[in-house]
Order: sequence, then C-alpha cells, then structure tokens
Amino acid sequence: MSEPKPEDIRIGVFVCHCGKNIAGVVDVKDVVEYARTLPNVVFAIDNRYTCSDPGQEEIKRAIKDYNLNRVVVAACSPRMHEFTFRRCVAEAGLNPYLFEMANIREHCSWAHPSHPKEATEKAKELVKMAVAKARLLAPLEPIKVPVTPTALVIGGGIAGINAALDLAEMGFKVYLLEKKESIGGHMAQLDKTFPTLDCSICIEGPKMVDVARHPNIEIISFADLVKVEGYIGNFRVVIRKNPRYVLEDKCTGCGECSPVCPIEYPNDWDMNLGVRKAISVPFPQAVPLVYRINRDYCIECYKCVDACGPRQAIDFDQKPEEIELKVGAIIVATGYDIYLPEEGNLYGYGKYSNVITSLEFERLILAAGPTGGHVVRASDGKRPRVVAFIQCVGSRDVNKYPYCSNFCCMYTLKHTIQLKEHYGDDVDVYVFYMDLRSHFKGYEEFYQRAREMGVNFIRGRVSKIEEDPKTKNLIIHAEDTLLGEPIELEAEMVVLATAAIPAKGSEELARILNITRGTDGFFMESHPKLKPLDTPVDGIFLAGACQGPKDIPYSVAQGCGAAARAATILSKPSVTIEPIVSVVDPEKCRNTKVKCGICAMKCPYGAIRAEPGKPAQVMAAMCHGCGTCVAECPVDAITQMHFTDAQILAQIDAALENNPEDKILGICCNWCAYAGADLAGTSRFEYPPNVRIVKVMCSGRVDRDFILYAFKKGAGMVLVGACHPYDCHYIDGNLKMKVRMDALARALEKFGLTPDRFRVEYVSAAEGVKFANIIREMAAKLREIGRDRIRAENEKLRPHIERMLKGK
Amino acid sequence: MPVKFIKIEDGKSFLLERIMYTRRYTLSLNRELCVGCELCRAACPKEAIKVVKPSDLADLEEPPKRITVTVLEDKCNFCGICSEICVFGAFKQSINDEENIPVLASESFPKIIHEVKIDESKCPPNCKVCEEVCPLHLIKVNFEGGKVRVDVDRERCPGCRICEVKCPYDAIHTRKIISGLIKINSELCPEGCSECVKACPIPNVLSISSDGKVNVNDLFCIYCGACRNACPVEGALEIRRTAIYHAPVKSGAWNKALERLTSTEDMAKELRSKLASRAYDSVRRLQMGGRVRR
Repeated sequence: MSEPKPEDIRIGVFVCHCGKNIAGVVDVKDVVEYARTLPNVVFAIDNRYTCSDPGQEEIKRAIKDYNLNRVVVAACSPRMHEFTFRRCVAEAGLNPYLFEMANIREHCSWAHPSHPKEATEKAKELVKMAVAKARLLAPLEPIKVPVTPTALVIGGGIAGINAALDLAEMGFKVYLLEKKESIGGHMAQLDKTFPTLDCSICIEGPKMVDVARHPNIEIISFADLVKVEGYIGNFRVVIRKNPRYVLEDKCTGCGECSPVCPIEYPNDWDMNLGVRKAISVPFPQAVPLVYRINRDYCIECYKCVDACGPRQAIDFDQKPEEIELKVGAIIVATGYDIYLPEEGNLYGYGKYSNVITSLEFERLILAAGPTGGHVVRASDGKRPRVVAFIQCVGSRDVNKYPYCSNFCCMYTLKHTIQLKEHYGDDVDVYVFYMDLRSHFKGYEEFYQRAREMGVNFIRGRVSKIEEDPKTKNLIIHAEDTLLGEPIELEAEMVVLATAAIPAKGSEELARILNITRGTDGFFMESHPKLKPLDTPVDGIFLAGACQGPKDIPYSVAQGCGAAARAATILSKPSVTIEPIVSVVDPEKCRNTKVKCGICAMKCPYGAIRAEPGKPAQVMAAMCHGCGTCVAECPVDAITQMHFTDAQILAQIDAALENNPEDKILGICCNWCAYAGADLAGTSRFEYPPNVRIVKVMCSGRVDRDFILYAFKKGAGMVLVGACHPYDCHYIDGNLKMKVRMDALARALEKFGLTPDRFRVEYVSAAEGVKFANIIREMAAKLREIGRDRIRAENEKLRPHIERMLKGK
Repeated sequence: MPVKFIKIEDGKSFLLERIMYTRRYTLSLNRELCVGCELCRAACPKEAIKVVKPSDLADLEEPPKRITVTVLEDKCNFCGICSEICVFGAFKQSINDEENIPVLASESFPKIIHEVKIDESKCPPNCKVCEEVCPLHLIKVNFEGGKVRVDVDRERCPGCRICEVKCPYDAIHTRKIISGLIKINSELCPEGCSECVKACPIPNVLSISSDGKVNVNDLFCIYCGACRNACPVEGALEIRRTAIYHAPVKSGAWNKALERLTSTEDMAKELRSKLASRAYDSVRRLQMGGRVRR
C-alpha cells in the first residue's frame, strides 16, 4: 500500500458504550459528535459493545463503505482489546498497524465516575490524541522468527511434573528445572490427600518416576536459574547446577554411603522435625535418586568414599557448573511456601513446643515420617488427647496476608478425620474457624464426614494461647461467635493452618523473567479470566500455586493447561513478533563520520551493531522494541516503528491544545505504569481527570525532547511513569531513562522550573493505588502553584527550551 | 519448624542443645575441668569452638576464673570430636540424654587412648603416693582386706606421667597421649609475666626460676597448649605436638584434625606409617598362608 497523502487520510472513529461502563459516565454521543469535527475523520459512530461481533462487523463495513484507511476505537485499555481490533481491521483488508485505541474506560469513565462532565471532556481529548497519532501511522509487516521446539519448566512440583509430562508426550524436548534435590514439591511431603484419603506419595511417586524415565524430559535438579534472555520461541537460559559432590551419572542410589556417615542435620524436607545424614537424599522416593553431601555439615571423614568403593561416585572437588539451554517456551511452576509465624511467636509458635503448623503435623502423622506416624508432643513425646486446629493463621489477616490460602480448610478436615480414624474416641478434636470453605467436588461431603465423626467445630477467631508451664498444655482463649460468648479450652496440642505464601525467590525469578507479581506477591496472570495461564511476556506461562494457592487437582489442571498453551508456540515452525522495532536512518547516523556507537552501547539487548565508519544497524529479530536507542541517539537518526517522534509529539500536541497549564501530561510505559493506571481504573480508585497519558512500550523511549516539547506547549505538569528499578521489561530501559531525566530535571530547575512540576515515578502494574495517589498529589500541587505562576515559568523557560530543541 | 537451640552458660558450665521435635542433641562443657587448652578448638572440623578469656564472659553471673572455650551454635554439628579430643574429659555429648559420640561409632575419629596400667600386686599396703601426686586427683587407692585396689578416672587423665615417675615401686606404667616439644623464648617474655605458669594444669611443668625466667620441665608436659593460649606475646612460647596416641582409624576428618593439632609433616608421617603397617600386614598374611592374588 502506498502512503496516502495527508489529505487522503480517512479516519473512522468508533466509540464504545461498553454497556454502562463507559456510557454511564461519559456522554458517548457528545464524544462521537466531537470526533466528527476532527480533521481527517470521515466517519464516527457509537456502539454498545464495539468488541462484540456486531461491533466488529460495523467497523469492517465502515472500512469498506467509507473507504477508511485508519481506524480509531475509543473503548477499553489497549492492553485488553488492541489485538482484537487489529485482527478485525486486518480482516477488512487494512494493515493492522493502521489502528489506534483511545482508552476511555480504565483511564476515564472508571477513574472519574463523580465528574461526568470532565470525564467527557477527557474522553474527547483522548480521542483527539488517538486521531492525531492515527494520522501519522504507517503500515507495518509483522516479523517472523523461527521457534526452538523445546520447553523449560521451572519447578518440579505436581504442576510442573504434569506440564513436563504433557509436553514430552506431545513430542517436545522438556527441561525440568528444580531448585531442590528432588522433584515432587509439596505434594511429596503430604501423607494423605483430600477428600479421597489416598496416599500422596503413592500417587505422585509413579509420576515422578515417569518424568525421570521419559526420553524427552531432562531433569536438572539442585540448580538455579541465573539468566533468561531472548523472546518468544527463542529464549536463551542460563542455569547454575549446584555441586552435590556426588556425580549424577555414577551414583546408583544404592544408599550405602548414608549409614556410615556420622553426621546428622535437620531435614528441612521433614520441616526440621527429623534428621538426615550429611550424605543422603531428602526422602527415599527422591527423583533423581542421587545422594548429596551437605558440605555445611560434612566433616570430610571420607567414610562415604570407602562405602561407595569402586563406583567412585563421590567427588569432593565438584564445582558449580553453568549450562546454557535454548528453549522456545517457559512454564513457571514454582509453587508456594508455608508461612512460619516464628516472628512475634504468633499463637506461641516457636515459643511453646506443642504448637505446630499443619505441614509439620503432616510429617508427624505420616507413617514414613520422623516419628513413624505417631502423633506425639514435642514436650514429652506423649500422644495428645485433645488437639485443637486453628484456621486462617496469617491468611485473611489484613496485617499479614489478606487473601484466603485456598486449601487450609480442606487439609484441616483431612487431619481431623485422620486423627479420628487413628485414635477414635481417645482423642478430642476441635477446629477454630472463621468460615469453612469446601467448594469442590466431594469436599462438602468430606466436611459432613468430619462432623459425623465427632469433630467439634467452633466458629470464632482465637485471641490468644497460653501455655501451662507445668503440663505444657495450651489454654486457648477464643470467642464462639455463634453463641456470642468467650470460651476457653485446654488443648494438649495446637495445630496452626498457616498461610500459603509466595515461594522464596519469587521476586528474583520475576526479575529474571520480567514477569509481574501482584500485591500478594504471587505471579500475575495476563488476564484473570481469559488468560489465567499467560504472563505479560509472550512465551512464558504460569502453572499451579505460583500464581496463587491451589490444591492438587487445580494445580494438575493448570500444569496440563500451561503445557497446551506452550504447545501452541512450540508446534509451529515460526512465530510472528510485533514489528515495533527500531530503524536507523543511514543518512542521519553520525557513526559514519565520527566514533559514536551510543545506541549500541545503550541497547539492553545488544541488538545494534555500530562498526566504525558504517551507519549503525539494528538486528530486527533481536530488537525488543523498547525504544531506548531512539531516545539516546544524539542526532535523532533512529526511529521506533509505531512509536515515532512525530506520532508521540502529535499526541502531546493534541493533549495540550486547550488549557495546557491545567493539565498533567503523563508518559507511561506499557508494562508497569500504564498497567498501574489501568488497575487504578479497574479498582475504581478515583483521581482528578486532568491527566492525559501517552503510552510508550518502555520508559526508555522517553526522549528529552518530549518533556521539553510538553513544557514548550505550556504543560502544567509532566509525569514519566516507569517500572520499578529492577522490574523493567527491557532489562534496564527505565534506569537509562532515569539518568537522562535526572540530568534534564537539573537543567530545567536551573532555568526556573518548580521541581514538583516534573516527576519521574516508578509504578508497578499492581500499584493502582500508588498511581491514583501520585495524580492526586500532582493535581493538588498544580492548584497550589496556580495557573499564573505556571504561565510565567513557562515563558521564562521558553528561550532555553527553544535553544535545546533547536534544529528539531 | 525452626530448629530450637538452647544455650545456657555460666562460669562453671556451658550447655548447648539442638532440639528437633523429639530428638535432642546436648553438648555440655564442665568449665571446672576445662583448662583452656588448644585441643578442642584445633580439632573441631567446623571452627565452632572459640577460646574465650574471663573478660569476654564478664557479663555472666559468675564468670570463669581461667581461659575457657565456648561453642558457636550456628557452626556446631554435634559430631562429638571435641568430646573425644578433650583429654581432660571436660566435654560430654549426648543424644536424647544418652552419651553418644557419632564419630566414634562410624570410626570417623579415633578413640584417644588414655593408658594407665597399674600392677597392683607390686603395691605395698598403705602406700598412697600416686593418689597424692596426681595433680588432677584422679587416682583413688583402696585397701580392702589386705588387697590394694587402685581406681583411676582414665577418661579425665591427660597422661602427665607424674604418678609413674613418682611411684617408688614401679607399679604404674603410662603413656603420654600427646608427644611433642615445648620451648620458651625468654627474651620475648614481658617483665614479671607468669601467665603461662598460672595456666598450666600440671604443677612444676612451668616454673619461674630465681632470675625471673620461665623454666620448662618437659618430662610432665602434656602439650595441651593452655600456656600458649594464656601467653600475651606471640612467639614467646612454642609448642609443637608431634603425635597423638590413638586407636587405629582411617578417616579424612582425623587426618585434618591431626594436621591442625600437630603439623602437616607429622600428619604425613602418621599416614606413611599406616601405609607401612598395611604393607607389613599384607606380607604377614601371605606368610601365614593367605590367598595370593595373581
């Protein structure tokens, strides 16, 4: 398609009601009327649901009937439906990149419900900004890249095991990475599973063995993920294998070394209730069955070396080893941890010896556990006759973990039934609960079974627990909210159902993979309903409890689901990636004349080559499209497709055409700050409507010129929103932006700008509240400074800005 | 569940417990028996033992009077080596209240041999010389029905040999546990210092002569190093342990402990002699009609 002349550009604007979501606040008809007055807009219409089939049909029809060559949809966030509409216009024969969205739901109607008039004005301006950009859009062709048909599954719990097995069965090579010595995860620690009461390791063990035997699966255990680079279909993964001091290929798992070892240390797999030898496996069914020497405890007597004999599997000189893998897709299945309330001795845990957690109870009642399946007290080794279970310890607690940990009610029911089955009327069992949640197949029946067996359920939160110093019994003070009176109970053992919390290392993993975590610390899915297994990074998927606490069937289902999602990529010879890459204008590039290479130096991915005497060159397949090089180029020789200087400046122009001094201009990165603003809307956190946001892929794209231009246009305030320092989706584009902006802020201050008028803020995708607060603060400050002073300052700045923008 | 550590100490004792639900590891030190020597610290494979001066423990209720040691709970792995190497029997280790030194059972560490042989038939009635001369009061002589019975608390005997030398009837035979050399570089000694003399657990090994210098009587020295711990000047007092009398054992942990207790050369010497004895044994087996390998 040849470039149409400016006068030939024909834009269609489609404004969505989104039922009452937009139309309930914004006067949609008014917005449509306004859109019709904008230059190049030849058609504008409203629709109740533009994303629905009839809505999309209307767009396609209009493209044909009115010969449209640009389409603007004013509706929800582009993070939601940009893809839908791009496909829609493509079906009508238009290049998908000739489409632009105005976010008048998350950023407007949902964020300003109490100010319908201002919201309507804002919606109009957002449409104006979108139209301004649409006018300058250019058709782009998607880039095709080959796919490596292998997958990496991180975490060998039940979710990861199922993901790995399914992918392997489909014929893909799978690397299963496990941090610990053995795969199996938490499920391998459990005694029985609810509601069927079948033995946990008996059903998981065979699966673990299947994984070990599968020709397509390679288990990499006792290893850490160090680095992940690349993109969908082409990830480069660096893994560090920690030394076991026992050679994997030589150890036969015979176990002759362990009995001769003199040293015992706490077995964390047994929740430290039991011990293991300094050379041992954490549990007998471990997969891979390779022994490990814990050098923190080993005294190097070499008795194990003698026992191992001619097998020669022990190597005290083993070193950590880094390996590199190439994979096309990654599944994260890192699970959860159990909260141990030792800090502050919640309910006496860590202080009173007969207060334990449920996972510890699990190890006690397990026949193969450290006590041989005898439930005994730590204080005297005797069997407790009165056992009290306390629910929601840490969970559903605004001061700790506000969410529900999902499976605690059910495992407590299981424990009560097990106790009753083992000891019958010889044990009294009490459960203190807030609400009992038994909402899956067979769960409610399981609850009834516990009641019928004589378990006492007391609804109420426990206020405190005291220990009788002589008997070491525990006196529980609680309120029975059903009777409405305080109660006191003497128990011989207390079991705490503590919260399931994000696995240790989740933060680091999120950073390595560039995926986001919610406020609860669990990994965030792309969409809570429609993309529950996807992450914002294409080619990386989630499975199991790493996304939020889940029970076994749910985790298994997710593991299989994530495998299917990964297969959608791996099964194709190539994937298309967005063509929003950087392009160098060889005419303008000064690397031909002087030694420059700034772009190559600043590129987070090393995707630019700048050989002396030649213009810099971008390798499109390696370019992730952050735009950092564009902002850094001293001669503006680089353009980022779909986010050109001209397009962004046109958006700024449109945003600041009327009453610029009353406005806050925001430039936000797609992944964090823009998503944070979306969340503020979704969560209905209201903030003042005088903010206008321009979206860029990465804050690294934010050119100095954008800020200068905005102040030149008379902006009241300017905000740059970025990911938190180490959360950047383009490694460190945000840090490069920060350096650039800090220097600019100093210069502007020197020229007389009130410092508060230019802010750089880190807002994550989970920080809707923070975004709303920042805008509230900035709006208040704007009022405080006042229109007159802003005008005066801008006048004073103008000559300096003109000089700095000279020649552009 | 967090592993629970209990640490109780005063001037007279030190107790460290590691509790894992129903399994309890106890390491106790009787500070009244501890002489503040170097052995346990040197032998410990995990550097879990720290030598402490009374001033370091000043905030204890009754601080100890002499140099002693303390155990770091984050490093100790309850292997029991300190219990075995302490020739004064000051350390005790138990698991669930039963005395248990895991490294002995697995032969990862040798039994240290406290050899005191007494031929009671040579003892005349009413002689109590040995009982009187033992500096640690470990010997009890009983006369019952005309028979003499001499009881020795061997586990606590560091083998100074005073009893053997003083016995008028040649009834006692002992063997030093530790052999070695001790030397004082008097020129380095600070004026009027007698710290080493005060620290030595065996009387008359170290003494101050009339010219104010420290004299050494090598005969009774047990080379424990209490004097060196007390000495304020580096190099004023030299001790070199050369061998430790122990049951045979093949263990890397012992070789390393031996190296730290003696020196690399002495450790190597022991290894060589072990090799030699192994060669000797195999030759003997052949001579006795053992199977010959082709």
